[in-house]
Amino acid sequence: MADLQQYSHGAGWKNAVLRGLLYLVLILFALYYLFPLFVMVSTSLKSLTEIREGSLISLPRVITFDAWTYAWNDACVGVTCSGIKVYFWNSVKMAIPAVLISTFLGAINGYALTKFRFKGANVVFALLLFGCFIPFQVVLLPMSQVLGKLGLASSTPGLVMVHVVYGLCFTTLFFRNYYVSIPDELVKAATIDGAGFFTIFWRIILPISTPIIVVSVIWQFTQIWNDFLFGASFSSGDNAPMTVALNNIVNTTTGVKAYNVDMATALLTGLPTLLVYVLAGKYFVRGLTAGSVKG
Amino acid sequence: MSSLTLDKVRKAYGPVEVLKEINLAIEDGEFLVLVGPSGCGKSTLLNLIAGLESSSGGEIRIGDRVINDVHPKDRNIAMVFQSYALYPNMTVRKNITFGLEIRRVSAEERDKAVASVAKLLQIEPLLDRKPAQLSGGQRQRVAMGRALVRNPDIFLFDEPLSNLDAKLRVDMRTEIKKLHQRLGATIVYVTHDQIEAMTLASRIAVMKDGILQQFDTPQRIYEHPNNMFVAGFIGSPSMNFIHAKLISDNGRLAISIERGSNPIVLPLKDAPESYNAYVGKDVVFGIRPEGLTHKRTGSEEPGSQYVNFDSKVEVIEPTGADTMTVIEIGGKEIVARVRPDRAPHPGETMTFSADMSQISLFDPVTELRI
Repeated sequence: MADLQQYSHGAGWKNAVLRGLLYLVLILFALYYLFPLFVMVSTSLKSLTEIREGSLISLPRVITFDAWTYAWNDACVGVTCSGIKVYFWNSVKMAIPAVLISTFLGAINGYALTKFRFKGANVVFALLLFGCFIPFQVVLLPMSQVLGKLGLASSTPGLVMVHVVYGLCFTTLFFRNYYVSIPDELVKAATIDGAGFFTIFWRIILPISTPIIVVSVIWQFTQIWNDFLFGASFSSGDNAPMTVALNNIVNTTTGVKAYNVDMATALLTGLPTLLVYVLAGKYFVRGLTAGSVKG
Repeated sequence: MSSLTLDKVRKAYGPVEVLKEINLAIEDGEFLVLVGPSGCGKSTLLNLIAGLESSSGGEIRIGDRVINDVHPKDRNIAMVFQSYALYPNMTVRKNITFGLEIRRVSAEERDKAVASVAKLLQIEPLLDRKPAQLSGGQRQRVAMGRALVRNPDIFLFDEPLSNLDAKLRVDMRTEIKKLHQRLGATIVYVTHDQIEAMTLASRIAVMKDGILQQFDTPQRIYEHPNNMFVAGFIGSPSMNFIHAKLISDNGRLAISIERGSNPIVLPLKDAPESYNAYVGKDVVFGIRPEGLTHKRTGSEEPGSQYVNFDSKVEVIEPTGADTMTVIEIGGKEIVARVRPDRAPHPGETMTFSADMSQISLFDPVTELRI
């Protein structure tokens, strides 16, 4: 201990300089990443006249939420001018079922692949894993054919299905890796107690899966909410998710370019994923530490 | 409560045979311990009895009922696992009653059953805690409670004490034994600890490489091991094996151990018939450390079971109750158990007594008992 103090004392000024440099670099990086957000927020709070007169980085002189309410209620997507709210609900209707279904199926898959190992379980898992590496673009055409045949083309259920199918590989991977670390003896004990496949899943496995459920939900929600390609390909008009609508609002070329509305719409679109991180991230950490009580 | 019979039970994973024709039978109320080094197939055998794995051949019977194709839940067995396998999301009470609940036992009866088991195991104050809030020994009790509450035909224990510290392990061992005596339950218990096997079992099955080596009472296994593996595995410190020759010394059979110019000759006492075929041949002379002691009184009288010989002492290891004395005979280190007040100093030459009534002879090639 005494030795350690001696060392740090001798190199005190040097340490301070290095530490200062470190903070400087970190602050620069933080500014670099925060700058676009700053521009977006400040622009969305300005009036159009102020945007025209002021500079990009200046703070708003008068803060106004007009652009936000306009974006929510009145912004024009194509010819209908009822704001982004319709599309927000479209996204909710798409994302929530898709997240829940894909997470649930991933949990069942992971459980079956680890605790009820059947012949060829490894092959099935390898193939599922392979699915994680298939790019979106590759599945567009076959998927649209399948949706057409199922009569789900250009509908929210169709979009939900696309996201479930595409997300299954990831959720299965998450749950499989989590369940591998749960001792098999737990399942054996429950089997002897008389519980079957689904009873064990509902009563024992699922209740101890909170951390990985949160991980899966965060991941899937972010992916599905932010998706643009599937939304643009497999929906039309009023069914379009928020990301597609955002694109249509921003790309509308008639009249004056309302930057403040564009920025507000973009922020509104990004808000839910941010919210999920803020809210669920806490539970995520809590879930992880709850499991780490000395066992 | 029921008897258990294993008839030519086999288990193979593809071409790998992990269990080869196991034949075992225990009566109602017996305590069978399966013991052996890791990888000997003892846990697999337990899983076959539990029904968690299916056998590749043979018959498993509980009482008169063949259970090979019966689902684990219908075998009326209960199992205690090495990791305890308590359901982490449930309270102790829920853990114990889970099996009853699945079997649709009424809430009233469940409460009654929990109360009596909790009383028996003295875990009443813990009933509303979660497993994570329990100590190792408490978890062990809960795991046993979960098995007891079902009142099964057979209890299966899979190395239940391995995760406990040494002191607690001894306490819990006694407790399991008490429990067995009180309930008169049929128990199959897997362990790799030969002391656990000796102390708990009414009969021990020693296994190695998927083959049943010996199946007998603890005392028989200790005194009359079937082969060198069993002899070396059971007992601590383990039996001394000395390469020797069986000779006929004036018509009396004796063991001759080479040692430079003056061999040690130990005349046998009450040699069985089977030894005659080995006269003049190499044998492995097996003697437990307690069979080799300081010079006993009366060892010089004719007809005594003790035979004296001198040897130089290499190392001494006091354990308190006895002093383990390492001597070298025929290039091998041999352990003798000496009373502390008679313990020699390293380097000294001392007279030892070999108790010839407690010896085993093995064939050096087949390693089987002669």
